[in-house]
Amino acid sequence: MNNLLSIQNLSKSFGGNQAVDAVSFSIQEGSIMGLIGPNGSGKTTVLNMLSGILQADSGSIKLENRSLNGLKPSKLAKLGIMRMFQMTRVFNRISAFDNLLISGQALGLSFNDSVGKADQLMQELQLEHVKFLDAGELSGGQKKLLEFGMCFMRSPKLALLDEPFAAVHPKMRETMVNFIIEKNKIGHTFLIVSHDMPIVQQLCQECICMSTGKVIASGNTKSVLSSPEVIEAYLGDDHV
Amino acid sequence: MLFLDLTVNGLIMGLFYALMAVGLSMIFGVLRIINFAHGEFFMIGAYTYALIATSFGINPWFTLPLAALGGAILGLVVERLLIRPLYDGYRSWSFVKDEYAVVVTFALSLLLIHLVDKVIGPSPFMGPSLFSMQRISIGPIMLNGQKLISSGVSIFLLISLAIFIKKSLWGKQIQAVAQNRFGAALAGIDPVKTTALIFAIAGGLAALSGALLSPIVNHSPDIGSFPAIKYYVIVVLGGLGSIWGSMFAALILGVLESYFAVYVSYDYRDAFGLLILICVLIFRPNGLAGMKGREI
Amino acid sequence: MIKTLSISNSKLWRNRLKFDFWSLLIVLLLMCFLPLLDLSDYTLGILIVAMYLAIVAMSWNLLAGYCGQFSMAPAAFAMIGGYIVGLSDFHAQLSLWISVPLAIVGTAILGALLGLTVTRLKGPYLSLTTLSFAEISRVIISNSHEYTRGDQGLNVPSMINDRLSYYYFFIVLVLLTGVFIYWLMRSKLGGFLLAIRDDQEGAESKGIDIVFYKLVAFTISCSLCGFAGAMYGSFSQLVSPEMGLLQQTGLVISMVVIGGIGSLTGPVIGAILVYLGSEWLREIGNIQMIVFAFVVIIFARFFRTGIWGFCLGLKQRLLQNHHE
Repeated sequence: MNNLLSIQNLSKSFGGNQAVDAVSFSIQEGSIMGLIGPNGSGKTTVLNMLSGILQADSGSIKLENRSLNGLKPSKLAKLGIMRMFQMTRVFNRISAFDNLLISGQALGLSFNDSVGKADQLMQELQLEHVKFLDAGELSGGQKKLLEFGMCFMRSPKLALLDEPFAAVHPKMRETMVNFIIEKNKIGHTFLIVSHDMPIVQQLCQECICMSTGKVIASGNTKSVLSSPEVIEAYLGDDHV
Repeated sequence: MLFLDLTVNGLIMGLFYALMAVGLSMIFGVLRIINFAHGEFFMIGAYTYALIATSFGINPWFTLPLAALGGAILGLVVERLLIRPLYDGYRSWSFVKDEYAVVVTFALSLLLIHLVDKVIGPSPFMGPSLFSMQRISIGPIMLNGQKLISSGVSIFLLISLAIFIKKSLWGKQIQAVAQNRFGAALAGIDPVKTTALIFAIAGGLAALSGALLSPIVNHSPDIGSFPAIKYYVIVVLGGLGSIWGSMFAALILGVLESYFAVYVSYDYRDAFGLLILICVLIFRPNGLAGMKGREI
Repeated sequence: MIKTLSISNSKLWRNRLKFDFWSLLIVLLLMCFLPLLDLSDYTLGILIVAMYLAIVAMSWNLLAGYCGQFSMAPAAFAMIGGYIVGLSDFHAQLSLWISVPLAIVGTAILGALLGLTVTRLKGPYLSLTTLSFAEISRVIISNSHEYTRGDQGLNVPSMINDRLSYYYFFIVLVLLTGVFIYWLMRSKLGGFLLAIRDDQEGAESKGIDIVFYKLVAFTISCSLCGFAGAMYGSFSQLVSPEMGLLQQTGLVISMVVIGGIGSLTGPVIGAILVYLGSEWLREIGNIQMIVFAFVVIIFARFFRTGIWGFCLGLKQRLLQNHHE
């Protein structure tokens, strides 16, 4: 198993606030990595840097040895890094099916290929019955699933999911989890930011915990979740 | 000395620009929209001042606050009827907020211009001066009396505004809503009232600016639109949303324009503003003191 | 796979666009029959100007309705296109066969340069800068007496002698514009523009180069406006700075908002109704801008999809009742 993504000494500060402080980790190809940590620990900032929305102050990001520093989000998407947002981003005034079509074409698929893939994804995500509704008319969970699908129109090298399970109906959460597991079986790599510990334990083989911008624990999920530093970060000093 | 004269006159014009720009900046700071009808608040202020002072023969010093009040009321009405729906919990508006604001305030601007044109007519007349002495000399410079008094009023207002925002309770509420509308609401601040207040202040300041300039410019219903272009340059230069930045940028633009008009070309002095705008957008998109990033 | 497409589901973008396009063809067809009503030369002239504005409206819709970029410069670019033709004739006696393509290319280049400045940025900067550009270019043209004869305007040679022929000529121009925009919006570029309209950051993170596509839309829109201005100039045989007044842009925006923003047919319906209405109101007492500005505000507030959207809504409801 080789390193798909490796991050070295990534740092970012806003004004006087050091949001991300010399963060380093790597993600193995074909794994599902969890990124956890209390609010304000810098997880979303890391994700923003990985998807090109923010530029790092210092440090390097490499995808299979290719440097990603300074690349635009659209370029990163074409290289195979797909990002799902915490506040769902879909194209509200066109149909759900068109959302998928456009994503496919943006990633380089031909029209016919996009149609085929979109059909397939609609079935996998169980969104067949709403595929011709405007994306803005879908429920919150359906929109999330749609955004999910948009990331998979062309097999991504790395899927970055930012709190995908937050505020989602349990049935839909199940669909998402199954989708992730299925895709992972055929070799897809995921980095999931989440607060949902049971799901993190279920899905993620490895885990990284951040707190106030630094990595405080990494490695096998079980050990990370039971490490004293992590417990302290989440619950505060009194509980250790 | 021409240079000194130009500088002082430029600063004075800059003060008037600042009164307008500050209001625009405040509206943007809180609502993230540009009020395309801002120039028309200026115009209505000028007309109100001139009409009331000449028709009712009221002392110009008393007419000034009346003009400002007119502008404030207009601001409140606009906010209530046109702007409030954007934020009053209509879910479907989240898709089209910016577009709606552009269309509606632009249409409002045209509506006001043509309404005034129809009702009052385009014939130019001027409002009465505040001060009868036409020329005063201060040191080596000759100044127009009206301009001098008006600048004094402007400085007073700008400083009062700054103090108001920084120190008063309402001012702090404005700052809170500007930073985080939802959060402010959670903290018990009423964003609707605060927004209404901002529109009233912005409208009042712009109208006052118009009233102060009324004795100096030829009235016509579209006097608001060209100045408005300058104010957009200023708020971009100063950084959208930053009041201090706008004030500072207004002064700079006033002075630079003054030099440009004499040393380079009078006819194209307004093109100068556009040039500055484009340069700023290319080289310093955040303006002098604006918000972080153009993530609007 | 083909199954999905052949389901004539009107909500799919391709199908919506196709229905829109056919409606446009029907409207234009109806326009072809209007002269049978024995219209005066004056009325024909009004309709021709309405169609000039329809082209400008369609190109503003391309940028604003389909791509979400609210430029305030469509009238200014039409004026610039007209002036390129006017100046070519005044200073160099160039034939229209040369000066019209020159106008198209010239406005495209100018549009691209302006676009380069604004498309990198988000939010209201585009509207602000295009507004400033529009006003200042008008003032420059107005003030440059030696080159442009200032407010007197410039004469433009005409192409056709007969007004009725001009009328049909302009119908063809509107048709060509419609076909062009239909082709654009049907391609993958169209989908990208819609995505940029709905969520710029989202579009970028899905792989769409937003700066490039916004620039393309901007350039095409400005160039179409310039083309329309050149054609109008040849019809009216005069171009003047009044073509570029913000009021004209306001008129164009009214046409699109009232007719139906985000469609092919909407701007054309809007252009005809608003311009006819405006001429009628002008006769009554010069209140056309007041009325239209007011109507635009009402429409923007309560009828965001315009007349076209309203008709579509009716059609949906009729279809639903039919199915039940």
